[in-house]
Amino acid sequence: MSDLKLTNIVKAFGKTQVLRDINLTIRSGEFVSLLGASGCGKTTLLRIVAGLETVSAGKVEIDGVDVTDLSPEKRDIAMMFQSYALLPHMTVRENVRFPLRMRKQGTREEQYECVNAALEAVQLSHLADRMPRQLSGGQQQRVALARAIVSNPKVLLLDEPLSNLDARLREDMQVELIEIHRRIGLTTLFVTHDQDEALSLSDRVVLMNGGVIEQEAPPREIYETPATAYASSFLGAANLIPATVSDGVARLADGQTIAVPAGSPKGSVTLVLRQENVEIAEGGELTANVVTRVYLGSRNRYILELACQRISVVAPASLTFEPGMEVRLRVGADRVRILPG
Amino acid sequence: MVRAVPTWLRIAAWCFVLLTGLLLLAPLVVVVGVSVSESQFIVFPPQGFSLRWYEKALSTPAFLDAFWLSLGLATLVTATATVIGGAAAIGLSRGRQGSQLETFFLSPLVLPSIIFAIGLLMLWSTLFGTTSFYVLWLAHTVIALPYVIRTTLAVLAERDPYVNEAARTMGAGRLQRLLLVTLPQCIPGLAAGAFFAFNISFDEAVLSLFLRNPNLTTLPVQIYGQLEFSPDPTVAAVSTVMIMITLVLMVLLERLMGLNRFASG
Amino acid sequence: MTDRRETWLLLIPGLALLVLGFVLPIGRMLVLSVQDANGYSLEHFVRFFQDSYYPLVLWRTVYLSAVITFFCLLIGFPLTYIMAHSTPRVRLWLIIMVILPLMTSVVVRTFGWMVLLNRSGLLSTALRDLGLGGRSFQLMHTEAAIVLGMVQVLLPFMVLSLLGVLLRHDPRLEEAARTMGCSFLQTIRTVVLPLALPGIVAGSILVFTLSASSFVTPSLLGGARLEVLAGSIYKNVTQTLDWNFAAAQAVILFAGIALLLIPYLRLGARGHG
Repeated sequence: MSDLKLTNIVKAFGKTQVLRDINLTIRSGEFVSLLGASGCGKTTLLRIVAGLETVSAGKVEIDGVDVTDLSPEKRDIAMMFQSYALLPHMTVRENVRFPLRMRKQGTREEQYECVNAALEAVQLSHLADRMPRQLSGGQQQRVALARAIVSNPKVLLLDEPLSNLDARLREDMQVELIEIHRRIGLTTLFVTHDQDEALSLSDRVVLMNGGVIEQEAPPREIYETPATAYASSFLGAANLIPATVSDGVARLADGQTIAVPAGSPKGSVTLVLRQENVEIAEGGELTANVVTRVYLGSRNRYILELACQRISVVAPASLTFEPGMEVRLRVGADRVRILPG
Repeated sequence: MVRAVPTWLRIAAWCFVLLTGLLLLAPLVVVVGVSVSESQFIVFPPQGFSLRWYEKALSTPAFLDAFWLSLGLATLVTATATVIGGAAAIGLSRGRQGSQLETFFLSPLVLPSIIFAIGLLMLWSTLFGTTSFYVLWLAHTVIALPYVIRTTLAVLAERDPYVNEAARTMGAGRLQRLLLVTLPQCIPGLAAGAFFAFNISFDEAVLSLFLRNPNLTTLPVQIYGQLEFSPDPTVAAVSTVMIMITLVLMVLLERLMGLNRFASG
Repeated sequence: MTDRRETWLLLIPGLALLVLGFVLPIGRMLVLSVQDANGYSLEHFVRFFQDSYYPLVLWRTVYLSAVITFFCLLIGFPLTYIMAHSTPRVRLWLIIMVILPLMTSVVVRTFGWMVLLNRSGLLSTALRDLGLGGRSFQLMHTEAAIVLGMVQVLLPFMVLSLLGVLLRHDPRLEEAARTMGCSFLQTIRTVVLPLALPGIVAGSILVFTLSASSFVTPSLLGGARLEVLAGSIYKNVTQTLDWNFAAAQAVILFAGIALLLIPYLRLGARGHG
């Protein structure tokens, strides 16, 4: 279990800047997610930690040792790939043993014992003598996980390992990852574009955008108090509405107002209204028109026009509003997030 | 309603396929038939049934020597073509030098072998005075090489490109990755290529004819010589043995890996 | 050791082999073709074209190759089309049927034709019975024999060239044409043929160059009187030992082939998906 420290990491491919001055410290045993859309640089950063990419500038330190110029073979890491990357010509057992062989850890007997332990941890002991092509996607990914933890690496790196699995398998694997992390406690860096995954697995979420870190915080904090408009819209379905704040009141484009808490930013602001925080109810403070209704089974989703803007609101199926109707919205002042600008 | 294919056309198609099959396979059937004929004249359909021509072939030193020469040569060619071709295929699959190099390596497939034959004969005779086994070995390896490269490249193209990176993160050094990760993945392609190489070398006539000398007569060359002057059914027996070897190789090849994928390449 | 160096280390044996066995021999051949007793000259080329015999050999080679290519296309296209539209199982058997002759030795195949085409052979007898020839007519030593033997040898090349192209195109294009009212043959003409054109061109170039360079089959089936260019080269190398002249003829053959192969290799580089 080790610290990982990234200092002033810059990376450019030719003329394209992919990472601009990344600074990040991951404490021993922490599970950190790199979250972001395609192209934000999260995978490149992971590969830099692995040694599969070089840096244009900056330093990578593991346990205080500068590994920036070391090749992946010499770093004490383990990595899981989106495509599993199992050695197709070896059995599951030999696949899991491979890192121990390469790093010359222990005698042959000891290596096989470690392999058995790892396979048990992912519940695949019964498939130890199968070939990868005989396994399902989920099973292959579990083999990849066993292979990653067997050598007790200083840092465990995961490159969107669950993206190729279907929804149910993904959820099962997420639970397994949580349990294994709880048990073994490896320093883990996890790349994903799925915010739910990042929120449920991590001790800390690092949101990346355009090669910089947009925000880094524990899951709850980053979801409930996103620091920027980008963070708000990336995490959870949020409606962003421009408004002007003065005298404890936020005025929307069409003149409607709602009360805001004291201490909120003044002047031009952006109101962040989560779908689930807006209620369609008589006596609400705001008026809006229904544009479209989307039937979702147990709920309806409504596209409403509020202050010349389209917003999205979710309501139970028992309430039905037709396009063209006018409805009233209740927005709790404590449920509105106000961002400057 | 759109009809798929009119029935008359379907019947015509099958007749056509049958006739084409006849065109393609008749000469081979004929050769086999003549080899078991009793008559000492070359006639088809064969008259009677006899294996005497096989006995005669087995007791003719010229044919036996040629057979062993061809066999030994093909084995050596298979070895060199597989090793050199396999290495080249691995190098080409790294994909950094562009398709021109690949085209260069595969060009003996489309270039007529007479082009090499003349040049090789002239070059080596000028340098060494006479052709030798080594020249023939070189020549056969050159034309067998592209087969190994093509089949191995096809296998390498299907692999997961991240496996090599995964091996790096697991601590495998360069040589270890080559021997323990890349090479095992190549094996189906190498095996298929080896079969092609053996077959190509064993059956090869043009290079062998140009590079022959009295001590260097391969089996196809021996057959050609007989055909030019005085064929008797012994030639048919020898030819049938060659066909059988080809058939065995094809069956083994199909067993080890489907022929289909290499056909549409 | 870097990645780059490892890659070149892997490629060097193959490159060395090709230089030794391919590039240098061709160079030697080129040099020989312009050498004579006194130094360098083009007399061999001049001799080739001024003699009354050799231009005829060249013409025969070109003309026969064109005919062979034509028949390979005529037979090969429908055959490949049927293969492309068969079930995978049937297609596999058809592929085997096509590949098997390809994998046997050319001398064996030609021997088979010799048996069929000589005076007492099945085909000659059949033609005599049909009244298409005199009493001692035989197909051996005719141009038809050469064409027949070569088509069997080269048809598989045409089929394999076409198969890749035909298998790759979307069968729904044909279905769409049919729903728009095209008859079966019209569909072939307007949809299939244009799409298959790269394969047709590639296959034709390949077959043409291979047939222009063949000597085993044409020599055995055509006889001494119907010499082709490759046969003449063989004779000059092994019998009359006139190597300079043989080299010149080879250069002429090589030049003609290179002219056709360069567009083919360009096509191949693009056409291989």
